[in-house]
Order: sequence, then C-alpha cells, then structure tokens
Amino acid sequence: MIVQRQIVIVGLNHRTAPIDLRESVAFENSYVAEALGRLHGCPSILEGVILSTCNRVEVIAAASDENSALSEIASFLAAQKAQRHAAPLDEHIYKYRAGDAVRHLFRVAASLDSMVIGEPQILGQLKQHYDAAQRVGTVGAVLHRLFHRSFSVAKRVRSETGIGSGAVSVSSVAVDLAKRIFDRFDDKTVMLIGAGKMGDLMARHLQSVGVQTLMVTNRTFERALAVAENIQGNPIRFEDFVRYLAMCDLVIGCAGAPEVLIDAATVEKVLRERKQKTMFFLDIGDRRNFDPLINDLDNVYLYNIDDLKSVADENLQERASEAEKAEEIVREEVESFLRWLASLEQVPTITALRQRFEEIRQREIEKSLGGNLKDLSAEQRDAVQEMTAAMVNKMLHGPISQLKRNSANEDEDATLYVAALRKLFNLEKP
Amino acid sequence: MTLPMNALLIELTAAAYLIAAASLFLHLFRGNVASRLPAALLLAGFAVHSVALSRLFAGQGFAAVALMGDALLFNSWLMVGIYLLIHLKYRLTVLGGIIAPLAFLMTFAAFAVNRGATEVPPGFQTFWLPLHVTLAFLGNAVFALAFGVSLIYLLQERHLKHKKLTLVMRRFPPLESLDRLNYKLLMWGFPLMTLGILTGSLWAGIHWGDYWSWDPRQISSAIVWLLYGALLHGRITAGLRGKKAALLTMVGFCVVLGYFLWGDAIFPSRHAGRFE
Repeated sequence: MIVQRQIVIVGLNHRTAPIDLRESVAFENSYVAEALGRLHGCPSILEGVILSTCNRVEVIAAASDENSALSEIASFLAAQKAQRHAAPLDEHIYKYRAGDAVRHLFRVAASLDSMVIGEPQILGQLKQHYDAAQRVGTVGAVLHRLFHRSFSVAKRVRSETGIGSGAVSVSSVAVDLAKRIFDRFDDKTVMLIGAGKMGDLMARHLQSVGVQTLMVTNRTFERALAVAENIQGNPIRFEDFVRYLAMCDLVIGCAGAPEVLIDAATVEKVLRERKQKTMFFLDIGDRRNFDPLINDLDNVYLYNIDDLKSVADENLQERASEAEKAEEIVREEVESFLRWLASLEQVPTITALRQRFEEIRQREIEKSLGGNLKDLSAEQRDAVQEMTAAMVNKMLHGPISQLKRNSANEDEDATLYVAALRKLFNLEKP
Repeated sequence: MTLPMNALLIELTAAAYLIAAASLFLHLFRGNVASRLPAALLLAGFAVHSVALSRLFAGQGFAAVALMGDALLFNSWLMVGIYLLIHLKYRLTVLGGIIAPLAFLMTFAAFAVNRGATEVPPGFQTFWLPLHVTLAFLGNAVFALAFGVSLIYLLQERHLKHKKLTLVMRRFPPLESLDRLNYKLLMWGFPLMTLGILTGSLWAGIHWGDYWSWDPRQISSAIVWLLYGALLHGRITAGLRGKKAALLTMVGFCVVLGYFLWGDAIFPSRHAGRFE
C-alpha cells in the first residue's frame, strides 16, 4: 500500500508558446486565489501551486494519480485560455511527472530555465506564488518540502556558480564598466546628449548607483527641458554643452543625428582643463555621436553600443558555461529529494517506527536485566520480555492502524501523518 | 644568519610566501580558493619572517642590515608588513598577487646571498646607520607596493581600452581607487626616501669625511629621487595621473630593485659590503 503523492507539472513557457498565448492563459494576481480553489477541486489534485509570470504559466501539483492529474490540469489551463484563441493548447504544453517534475521546478527556481539564464527575479516570483497558495491552503507536506528545497537549490546555485555574475543588458554593462573605472559616483557628473529612450534608461541606472548631478542637452531645448524634468537633471542649451564638458565624468551620447558631436581634439582640450581626470564616454545611439579616436587618449574610455552589446553577449556565454555546474547541483538535489519522497511511503515508515520502538525496548531490557533485575530466573526473564513486547505492540497499534485506514480511504492527510511521524520519532535517517 | 636555526626559518618564510603566491593566483584565475586564505598564508609567512629577523638582530645587532642578504630580508619584511596594513584597510587581495611573489624572490635571494656571510665591521654600530637604512628601506618598501598598484592599474587600463573584459578583472579594484592609492603611496614614499638619503649623507659625512662621494648607489638613488620628485610635482600641478603616472612609478622601482640586486656586482661601491 502506497500513499505517496505524485508530483506533476503542466505548463507553457517562453520556449513552447508565443507571448500572446502565454498572456491569454496568465493568471492575474487578484484572480489566483479563486483559481487555486478551482484547481484544488479537481478530483486527483491534492496540493497545488500556480506560477504565472510573463515568461511562463505553470501548475505544480501533488496528486493521487499522475495520469488523471495531468489531464485535469491540462483542461484547467485550457479553460483559463481566452476564447479568442481557438488553437488548442496541447502542442504548446509540457507535462512533467515525478523526478522530471522535481528537476523542472529546481531548474526554474535556479533560473536555468529562464529566457535570460541567471536572471534573479524568478526566485522572488516563485516565492510569491507559493505564498499565495499557502494562504489559500492548497499547499501540503509534499509541496511545502518541494518548494523550500527549490529555494535552497536556487541559493546554492547562485553562491556556488557564477551564473548570476556579469551584466547581460546594455545599460547594466555600462554601469558595470563605470564601476571598474570609478570607485564612487556621488561626486560624479553625467552629461546626457540627446533625448533617446536608451539615454534616459542609462541615466536612471547611473542615478541608482549614486550619481547626483546630471546635465541634459538636446538640439531642441524643449526636449532637453522635458527630459531634465523627468530625470531631475539640469537642462543645458545645445550651443553651450561643450563648455560644460570639463565638469563631466561620464558623457552619454544618444542624439540620433548622424554626425560627430564631440571629436578627439575637443576632448583633449577638455582633459587639459580638468587636469586629466578620467572620463568615460558612452555612445549608445543608433548613429555614432563621438569620434572613435577619443578612445586613444589617455585617461579616457569610449564604448559604443556595439561594444556594450558584445560584452553583454560574452557574459551571457559565460553564464551558459556556468549553467553546466548548476545542472550538476540540480541533479544532486533532485536525487536527495526523491529519496525523501520515497521515505514518505507508508510501509517503510511503519517498519522504521516498529524498529525504533524495538530498539528502545531491547536497550532498556538489557540495561535492567544486567542491573537491578540481574537475579531474575529464566522464566521471570521471559515474562519481562513478553510483557514489554506486548506494551510496545499495544502502544503502536492505534497509530499504525490509523495510518493504514487513512491510506485505504485515500485520506488527504495520510502523507501529512507520515511526514509528522518521521519527524516526531526521528526516522529521517535510517 | 650563521645560525642554522635561522636558515631554516628563512626557508620556511620563503616557502610560505611561495604558497601564498600560488594560492593568490588560483584565487584570481580560478576563483576556487577562499579569498581569505592567501592573506592568511602571507600573514603566517610574515610571522615566521619576524621571528627570523628578530633572532638575527638579537644575535648580530641591528647593524647586520648592512650586509646584502640581511638587507633583503629586512626590506622584504617591511614590504609585506606594509602590504598587510594596506590590505586591512582596502582589502586589496589582488595586490598580494604581486607582493607575495616579490617577497618570495627577495627572501629566497637573501638565503642564497648570505651563504658566505661576513661579520659586521665594528665601526658600524652607530645610531645613524640603522636610521639611514630603516628610512631608505621603508621608502623602498612603499615604492614596491606602489609598483604593484601601478601594475594592476596598467592591466586594468589595458583591458578597458581594448574592451576585453575577463573574470579576473572583476576582482581588480576600480581605476580611480588604484590611482588614488598610488598617489598616497608616493606621498609617503617620497619623504621617506628623502630622509633616507639625508641621513645616509650625514652618516657618510661623519664616517667617511665627505657627505657626497658620487658612490654608484648614491647616484642611482639621486636618479630615482629626481624621478619620483618629478612625478609628485607633475601629479600636484599638471594632473600627471593614470597610465603615465603608473608607468613612471614602475620605472622608478625597477631602477631601485635592479640596483639593489645587481648594481653592487657591476659597480664597485662602498654600499656593497666593502666598507673601508
């Protein structure tokens, strides 16, 4: 007799389904509680968590029967899908069971299954959706353990591999580079030339690491005013910006105009004016705004958008190679989780419980018969043996028959009792 | 140094520095050594080093630093000590990657050179000589560290200019910190060196009768002093910084080190242990 809950995952992600399909299946936060209730209503679903982010929609469940659970969840998701999508979900859905399901969840938590491998948000989202399910009450002993295990797998992967290191977006690469050049930002001044979206983003990113003084210039002064207000910078007239360059440590160009706005000779002059203090130029528009020769000057660094992109690509490749180490960690953890799950089977638990009591009985008998009771006759000894054995049996009778009855009824809480017994009587380790 | 016990201690010191250097390189390139280990090894080496040095001075008096091997031993001790102090404040594990091999070379050389140790002439047991040697060596040690900081600066600068970013680079401090530390070291090293030269000259005046005898060591010191002086002046007035400053710092130290190791063998000098 086995009461083991089977773990299944059904879902779709950025690899299997296009974004509009994912969006149509997605669960709004406000709607999750109600949906969890419906999920829990499915006959073979005992525990369930819904994970819904912009890159994936998945149902993680512990079920009494794998096959029926898989089809129940599939139709649960199909019902969620908006009417306007006539196409069936089937070809976009993946179904995992048992060890594969555990492995999948661990990989998701460790950000190995993410669109950008190693991105840190997924773990928070996973925790958030787990908490939601816990509040509704659809989490039991198995999913509790499974999710907490997956959180610690994610932490292990992050600390033992370089999967999260190295910036992989253009603006974070730029900030990363700036940090190799400058050691503090609160005393630095940034000039933003042009009103491109990218420049705006970069400026905000730099503000987040401590930059306090920003100058904004644009060919149309009104645009400069607007951007300056937006990011709390000082607007500067386009005709004047060269005069302010000597005050600037970082210069961001995204003017979009197909012309060189700052040439090497200008920078040389500016450098003399600022006593050769280091400058960092970022040319992030579609067209080059800065003379490439600027990079040849001492104490000046120039990166254009392609340079930043290639650094980001390299970092991404590095993450991919770190991912191999992470997969190894996941493999180990899946094995250890499956061992725990197997231990939840009722029969080994009953055996272990009997063994534990028998051990105690034997130990105490030996102690007594070797000590206070050492003068007992052979018959008396047998009587003591019998009496203690009977006591143990009587004491265990209630719990064990309850356990068996539970599993016969497919009672929902059987696994909980098994887990509790293992913990209470310290049966986790053989 | 004639004591066999001390020879063993110096061997141990050199071995500790070598292992520290190896663990530092592993830490930098493979990331598989906990970053506290290299500094701990260096500290262990420094402790043994201190014992060896104090036994030496207890046995032969502080004037023993006038001998080539002991001078190396004393100088490297100062260098590692100052590095450990800087490490406490700035956590500059990378700098240890340069200091540890350098310390190993110096202690190893000290061991090799001192095989045929000579006695310290009695006339040297004065107040001025140890003062001169200590100041000059402190200056040398500070410049050794400035050399290391400059080397890291140049590596980091090169990576950034050529847009080749590697894992090692992430362990390097930002250019701004390196340049500032380089400046600080120069600010300390230059006065120490100046005082070292002045006290040496004073001692020479008392013992040899002339304050400046165009001894090769004196000439080389003067060259380095002028170089560092120009560098300091340039930094303060003309914004001489970054790559050029780092290069000049390294050139200066190479002159000091080169002369220290080989100069005496090439140019006969009163600093070379022939004190008559």
